[in-house]
Amino acid sequence: MPTITKSSTAEYFAKNLQQVGFSSATKAVLTTLKESVDNSLDACEEAGIAPHIKIQIKKEGAGSSKNTDLVSIVVEDNGPGLEEKNIQRVFGEYLASSKFGRGRCSRGQQGIGISAATTWAQLTNAKGVHVISKTKSGKKAISVTVNMDIKNNKGILKNKQTVSIDKKQGLKVEFFIDGRVQLNGEGGIITYLEGTALVNPHLELEYQLLDQELRKIPRVRDFVPKAPPASLPHPHTMKLGEFLQHASLYGRITLKKFLKTAFSRISDSSLKEMIKAGLKAGLLKKPLKSIGEKDYKTIFSILHKTALPKPSSKSVLSVGEEGLAESIHRLGDIDFFSVITRKPKICDYKSVVVEVAIARLNVTGRDEDSIQLLRFANRVPLQFDKASCAITKSVESVNWRAYGLSQSKKSLPTGPYVFAISVTSPFIKFKNASKETIDASEELVEEIRLALMQAGQKLKRHIRKEKNTADLFRKKEYIEKFAPILIQKIKDITGVNKKAIEKAEKGLYAILSKDTAQAEKALGEAQKKLEELKAKRTKRLNIEQEKDNAS
Amino acid sequence: MPAKKTNLFKNRPAKDIPKRSKDLCLEMLKKLHQKKPPTLQAVKCSLDNSHYDPKKGYLVPKGKKVSSELNVSSVQKISRSLFLMDILLGNLRSGSVNTKRELYYIAKGLIKSDSFYKPLDFEDQSDSDSIIDFICDMFEVYREEMNCFANDRGGQTYSKNLVVTEYLDDGEKAVVDLSALGTTPFQPKNKPQQFQLKPKKGKIDYCLVVESEGTANTLVANGMTKRNNCIVMGAQGVPSNAVRGWCKTIQDQLKTPIYFYGDLDAYTLQNIYRTLKAGSASSLIRNSDFSAPKVYFLGLLPEDVKKYDLYCYEVSDKDLSEARALKKAKDVLKNDPFFQNKKNKKLAQILKWLIKEKRRCEQQSVFSTNPKNPRVLEEFLIEKIKRGAYI
Repeated sequence: MPTITKSSTAEYFAKNLQQVGFSSATKAVLTTLKESVDNSLDACEEAGIAPHIKIQIKKEGAGSSKNTDLVSIVVEDNGPGLEEKNIQRVFGEYLASSKFGRGRCSRGQQGIGISAATTWAQLTNAKGVHVISKTKSGKKAISVTVNMDIKNNKGILKNKQTVSIDKKQGLKVEFFIDGRVQLNGEGGIITYLEGTALVNPHLELEYQLLDQELRKIPRVRDFVPKAPPASLPHPHTMKLGEFLQHASLYGRITLKKFLKTAFSRISDSSLKEMIKAGLKAGLLKKPLKSIGEKDYKTIFSILHKTALPKPSSKSVLSVGEEGLAESIHRLGDIDFFSVITRKPKICDYKSVVVEVAIARLNVTGRDEDSIQLLRFANRVPLQFDKASCAITKSVESVNWRAYGLSQSKKSLPTGPYVFAISVTSPFIKFKNASKETIDASEELVEEIRLALMQAGQKLKRHIRKEKNTADLFRKKEYIEKFAPILIQKIKDITGVNKKAIEKAEKGLYAILSKDTAQAEKALGEAQKKLEELKAKRTKRLNIEQEKDNAS
Repeated sequence: MPAKKTNLFKNRPAKDIPKRSKDLCLEMLKKLHQKKPPTLQAVKCSLDNSHYDPKKGYLVPKGKKVSSELNVSSVQKISRSLFLMDILLGNLRSGSVNTKRELYYIAKGLIKSDSFYKPLDFEDQSDSDSIIDFICDMFEVYREEMNCFANDRGGQTYSKNLVVTEYLDDGEKAVVDLSALGTTPFQPKNKPQQFQLKPKKGKIDYCLVVESEGTANTLVANGMTKRNNCIVMGAQGVPSNAVRGWCKTIQDQLKTPIYFYGDLDAYTLQNIYRTLKAGSASSLIRNSDFSAPKVYFLGLLPEDVKKYDLYCYEVSDKDLSEARALKKAKDVLKNDPFFQNKKNKKLAQILKWLIKEKRRCEQQSVFSTNPKNPRVLEEFLIEKIKRGAYI
C-alpha cells in the first residue's frame, strides 16, 4: 500500500511555480518585478505615501539553467518599510498576507507572489532575496537575506546586519534569478511599467533596464488613493463551508445578531422573510454554538433563497477620469483621448468598477495594425493569455465601426489607438493563480462593454470633427482642382467667347462654394459639440474633486 | 481622310452627336450664367428600370434617369465626362476608332502631357469605362456610334449557302462567300448590322447558335454544313456585342429560324440565352439592335435529360459560380421582367426545375448516348428541330 505523505504549502508551490507566473525564463523576470512593485505600491497606499519607486534590471552573466542569463532585479520604494519579523514572513512564507480575504481592492491578495519570487531565486541561484528595510521608527535599516525553508514553509534570515541609509523609510529588494529579459511587446517589461504608470497617476517611477538610459516618469497627481475599508461579506457570495467557518468566528452571539452584524444586506425585514420561508423563529434567539449542523444547513438554504439587496459597491477603488486623463499622456504623443469611469456596479455579486481610456497616438503607418490593448485588474497590468480575458472579449463584442474605427467582425479594431481598460474589485475572479486573465462572466463582459461604448461615443465626436475637417478640406481642394478643367472643356466643346466663359466661371464658383459653406457649418457644429463635451467633463470632474476634498 | 457618313443602324434615326454635345455644354453654360447647378442625365441601365415588351421581344428602359447635379461631389465626374467627350468628338471628326482600353491610355497620355488635367487622372480602366458608358447612356447612343469598338469575341460562323457583303466607310465593297472559306470561319466584328446577307441559292433552312464555339467547330468539321442547308455559329459563352448584332442581322435579313443550343443550367439560361434573345439590363439602350427575339431555345431541355438519359452533375454549394448562378435564378424569377412574362413561362419553368433538382447537364453530354457515332449531336439536334422540341 502506498504511503500517504503531507506536503507543505511551500513544497507545493516550489513544484508548481508555473501556476504563479514562473512558467518561462522571460515570465520569471517579469513576475518577480511585478510582485515587488505591487507590494511597494500597496504598502505606500496603505500608509498614505505617494509612491516613488526605483527599478534596476541588469544581466550579471550566464544563468545556471540552459539558455538563461543571471538577472538582477532591484526594486526600491519610499514606503513604510517592514519590521524584521514581517520581512521573514512576507518573503519567506506562502499565504502570509495582510490582505487575504479582506475584501479590499489591493493589488496583492493571497500572499503567494513575492514568496514564489524568493523560491525561484533560491531554486535557480541558491540564494533567496536580499532585503534592506527601514521603518520610520527604526534608527537604522536592516539588511538581511531571506531564504525559504521549503519543507516547513518558513522564512530563514541570513547575514542580518544593521546599515545606515540616507532615507527615513523604505524598502529595497534585490533578486538574482535565472531569466531572460524581454523589454518590448505585450509581455515586455516596458509595457508593464508604462501600464503601471498609466493607472497609477500618483506614482513616480525611475527605471534603468539593461544598458538603456535611466528613465524617469514623474507623478502627475499628488493625491494618494486610499483603498476604501472592506465591507462585510454578502451572504449570497458564500458557500456552505464558508458560512460555517464564518459562524465559528463569532462564538456565543445569537443567530439573529450573527446574521445582522456579520453580513451585509441582512435587515429585520430580511429575517421576517426568512421566517416566512420556513426558518424556525426560535432558532434566531439561539447562540451560534448551540446550533447543530443540520440546522445550519437549513438556515443557509433559506438564506440563499431569500431575496436580499445587492452588495454594497462602496468598497471599490478606481483611478478616476481626471487621473486617467492626466496619466494617459505618459503613453506617448497623444492626438486625442476619451476616458470613462463607470459607477460601481455589482457583477456576479461582487462590486466592480470599470474604467476605460482610449487614446489615439500621433503616429503614422499603424492604420492596419490592431489597437494596442492594455488590460488591468486592480491596477495591475495583465500581459498574457489575452484572447480568453473578459476585457478582450468585451472589446471584440463592440461594433467599433459605428464609432469611426476600422474593425473586422468579432476582432479587435485597428488603428493607432491605445485602449486601456481597468477592472477593480475586491474579488476579481481570475482564471488562474498567476492572475493573467479575468474570467469572462456574462455580467462583467456586459459592464465592460457598456464602458467601452460610452468611451466610443466620446471618441466618435473627435473623429466626426476630424472627418468634417477633412471633408471641408477635400471639398475646397476639389473646387480648386476641377472647376478650371470643367470651364476649359465647356469652352473647348462650345467655342464660346471669353466673356461668356468668365461669367460661367463666376457662376460655377458660386455654386460650389455653397457646398463648402455647408461643410464649414457642419465642422463648426462638430467643434461646438466637442467643446460642450469637454466643458461638461471639466465641470463634472470639478464637482467630484470638491466632494473628495470635502470628505 | 474624313470618314464617309453612314447610318449604321437602319431602324434608328441618325444621331448628330457633335451637335448634341455642343447643345449640352451650351445648356450647362446657360445654367452657370444663372448661378444654377447644371444637371447631366442618363438612362438608368439596371434591372429595376427594365421593362420586357413581349411585342418587341427585348428589354426596354422604363424611364428612370441617373442624374448628376453639379456640386463638389460630382464636379470630378462631370469634368471627366466632358474631357472624355471631347476625345470621342475628336475621333468622330477624324473617323478614328478606339477600344475602351485604348481610350483609357489616350486619356492618360493627354493628362500626362498637360499637368492642368492631372486631377482627372484615371487610376484604372474601370474609371474611364464607366464615364464612357455614362456618356453613351446620356446621349442614348451605342458606343459604336461614338467610334468606340469592343474587341468582340465569339461568333465564328460556317455555312455553305451564305454570302456576306460589306460596304466600307471609304466606299469599297467586300463580298465574302462563306462556302469558299474552307475550314476558316467567318467572324463578325464591330458593326455586323451593316452587312448585307444573302443565300447563294434558295432559302437557308435554319441557323444554329451553339454556346460552345468548340462544339460548333466539331459539328462543322464532321460535315453538318455540308449535309444541311444551314448556318452554324459558335457563341463562346455570354454573347458579345458582335454576336448579338450578328444574330439580329441574320434574323432580320434572312428571315430564317434561329435555334440556340447550350448547357442546361441557370447560367446559360439567364446570362447567355436571355442576353441573346432579349438583351440585358446593363445595355437597355442597345437592346433594340443587339438582341434577336426570335431565337428559339433548342436545349438542352429537362425533357431531353429524361428522354436520352443524359449524364448530369449535382450542383454543389462548394462550386461557388454554379451555386451563385442558382441563387441568382431565384432572384431572376422574382425580379427579371423577361422571365416573369407569361410569354417566357416555359423558360421560367426550366429555371424552377433547375432550382429544385440542383442538377446541370452539359451540351456535350449528348455524345455519351452513342459514343461510337461522331454525328450523334448533329442527328440529335436535327431530330429535335424536326420534332419541334424547342421553346
